[in-house]
Amino acid sequence: MTSSEGALAGIKVLDVAGTIASGYCGKLFADHGADVIDVEPPGVGFDTRREPPFLPGVQAPENSALHAYLSANKASVVLDADAEPEHLSALAEGTAVVLDCGRFGAADFPTAPNVVVSTITWFGRTGPYAQFQGTDGVCWSLAGMVKTVGRAEGPPWMPAGCGAEIVGGLTAYIGTLGQVIAREIGNAAGTVRLDTSIFEANLCFTEVGGVGGYRSGRRSRRLGVNRFAPTYPLGVYACADGWLGVTALTPSQWKSFCELLGMEKYAAVPEYQTAIGRLYDYDKLEPIIRERVRKRSAEELAARGQGARIPLVPVPTMAELFAVDQYVARGAFATVEAGTGDGFLAPATPFRLFKTPARAGGRAPLLGEANAELLP
Amino acid sequence: MSRPGLLAGVRVVDLSMGWAGPLAARHLADMGADVVKVEGCMRFDWWRGWEATQEWIDDGGAEKNPAFNTVNRNKRDLTLDLSTAVGSDLLKRLVANADIVVENYSAGVLPKLGLDYPALAAVNPALVMISMPAFGTTGPWRGYRAYGSTVEQASGLPHLSGEADFPPTMVHVALGDSVGGLNGAAALLTALRAKRRTGRGQHLDLSQSECLFPLGIQGILAQSVTGEAPPRLGNRSARHAPHGIYPCAGDDEWIAIQVRDEDQWRALAEFAGISGFGDLADRLDRVDELDRAVAAFAAERVAEMLMADLQAIGVCAGHVASSTELATDPHLAERGYWKFMERAHVGVLPHPAPPYRVGDEPFDIDSPAPTLGQHNREVLAELLHLSDAEIRHLERQGVIGTKPRL
Repeated sequence: MTSSEGALAGIKVLDVAGTIASGYCGKLFADHGADVIDVEPPGVGFDTRREPPFLPGVQAPENSALHAYLSANKASVVLDADAEPEHLSALAEGTAVVLDCGRFGAADFPTAPNVVVSTITWFGRTGPYAQFQGTDGVCWSLAGMVKTVGRAEGPPWMPAGCGAEIVGGLTAYIGTLGQVIAREIGNAAGTVRLDTSIFEANLCFTEVGGVGGYRSGRRSRRLGVNRFAPTYPLGVYACADGWLGVTALTPSQWKSFCELLGMEKYAAVPEYQTAIGRLYDYDKLEPIIRERVRKRSAEELAARGQGARIPLVPVPTMAELFAVDQYVARGAFATVEAGTGDGFLAPATPFRLFKTPARAGGRAPLLGEANAELLP
Repeated sequence: MSRPGLLAGVRVVDLSMGWAGPLAARHLADMGADVVKVEGCMRFDWWRGWEATQEWIDDGGAEKNPAFNTVNRNKRDLTLDLSTAVGSDLLKRLVANADIVVENYSAGVLPKLGLDYPALAAVNPALVMISMPAFGTTGPWRGYRAYGSTVEQASGLPHLSGEADFPPTMVHVALGDSVGGLNGAAALLTALRAKRRTGRGQHLDLSQSECLFPLGIQGILAQSVTGEAPPRLGNRSARHAPHGIYPCAGDDEWIAIQVRDEDQWRALAEFAGISGFGDLADRLDRVDELDRAVAAFAAERVAEMLMADLQAIGVCAGHVASSTELATDPHLAERGYWKFMERAHVGVLPHPAPPYRVGDEPFDIDSPAPTLGQHNREVLAELLHLSDAEIRHLERQGVIGTKPRL
């Protein structure tokens, strides 16, 4: 699977962690042409192989679509890193990056003199939460990402999915690639262990609230489903044919929005010239907006709204998502094949390097598929 | 101490505004790149304020927004009126000696100014330039207007969160922005490495809505491989129980408890004195009853203390914090996450550390966000070799300045 193409050709990466975060970090390397090797424990392989959703009719450990998505364009070897350190050391020869979750240090890879051991953990290696058990929900709860979601009277709602781990992996990619580039251009040398805290990575969403709260001393209140200060109207509205996503922030967007919905008499109200001023009158404005969009088409309102420079969009269901014109036009989804050959559509790398494009889709390796090739 | 020099010698011209683009450039600045942020006195970064009035300008409003001040540290600020020939020419001279340009204008703005990728690549063929409109630079929506909220809506992700009886549920006022910014930084470093390998620059783009897909990857893949989206279960899980958010002592105080395996369940049940529930299947069957028992246990306890108690016995638990409390979070405090720095017009502000570190200390931060045009003289003299007289002339012409103008 050695590639001579792509932006990251010639960079060798070992993943000895097998988490969603390390998997996503490694995926960004692999999709851009790096040689990424999953170093999986004997028997069951990485934990991600036991994460849903599962491919119908496919046997474990090759049936996790999530694992296949994360591991496309990588190689897999099975190796007991603790019992066979000499094999790990041989495999690591010339490696630029080891993706780790807290087991290894730079000294463990003597055959890789410039290695970046990129350790991704939930809370980092120091501090009172360092030994905490993490989940996406726990991490986002502590990060202030949960408190503002859900009904005002509570409980707050945890967002679904593995967003915290993905953001952790993406952030580790930035820090890790920065270290690799620094070594290539002569700004750094030798081995290094880089620690990424998934928790701190996810403060990208809420750090501004932390700064603002320090200044004002105020706590944020949960306002209700799809209500977030300081912006209104903002939300997801039921239409005749689906859902409409609305944001009207500036005075001119509010005016155009009122015109689009035949609410002209609210356009010039002095209190409504700021987003927060409109939010104060949510109880009055919200039923009017809901009623005005209810029998209209979301597609049509979005298109007409965009024509009037208002940020309106359809909110596609999962079933509709793969057929959205914009995503089809950009090749946003490509076919990933599990090692067994079963294919499915999955998101392609969201950024496009037009001259050195990422590999879209690709095949995930069977557990231990590269043992004969890569191990002595 | 000073910020690391990992990207020392890499020159970045940051034309971007708002949250996503400036955050992308911030990561490069944090790793030592020389980032010059370019604004105009009339076309200043809209994140300084989008409801500008003369009164707001006179009050220094453009320098006070915590959001602006958080994503622009470690940068220098140059004002240029890009609608003038002289301003446009100065930008091209700046770009001629740069490695990277970051921009997130609406489609059409830079072409109209004669400053799009082809124009800038003409003065610097090895340039790496990223454009980061909401939906990318190609496709039928390439000109669509959007905020971070719009991007979340268009990603479809709201159909995965919340309870089934409620509308599709957004999880943030601007979810797309920071994820777009991180992807921007990732894309730029990837292209910088490609340039190092091939000697060639290139134009790159990203779609901020596509950047969100991985955050909901299980839902998207469930649709893809089974033909059905997963049900919206609110705080519950089809695979774990208990799995929820429970009220604690105090006003609007909550704890998240997500038991991941049978060991954690046994530890929780013993600690909380909850009995009468069996294996996972039994707990999922009787989840209403189970949630009532856990809620009763948590009700009189202080969320932060309960979190520590449960974590000490290996149970996944987290206090549901308010973002406004982050500056006093004890974990972040002990890790030196916030650096308190004086910033003109606002006094001392906490600045968040880069989320990756070498050793126990975070990377240092050299400087808070610049004021409008703070580095006009420095940048024009040092990078473009303009004389004092030339710089004064630009000031008189209004091409550069340090105050917003309506």
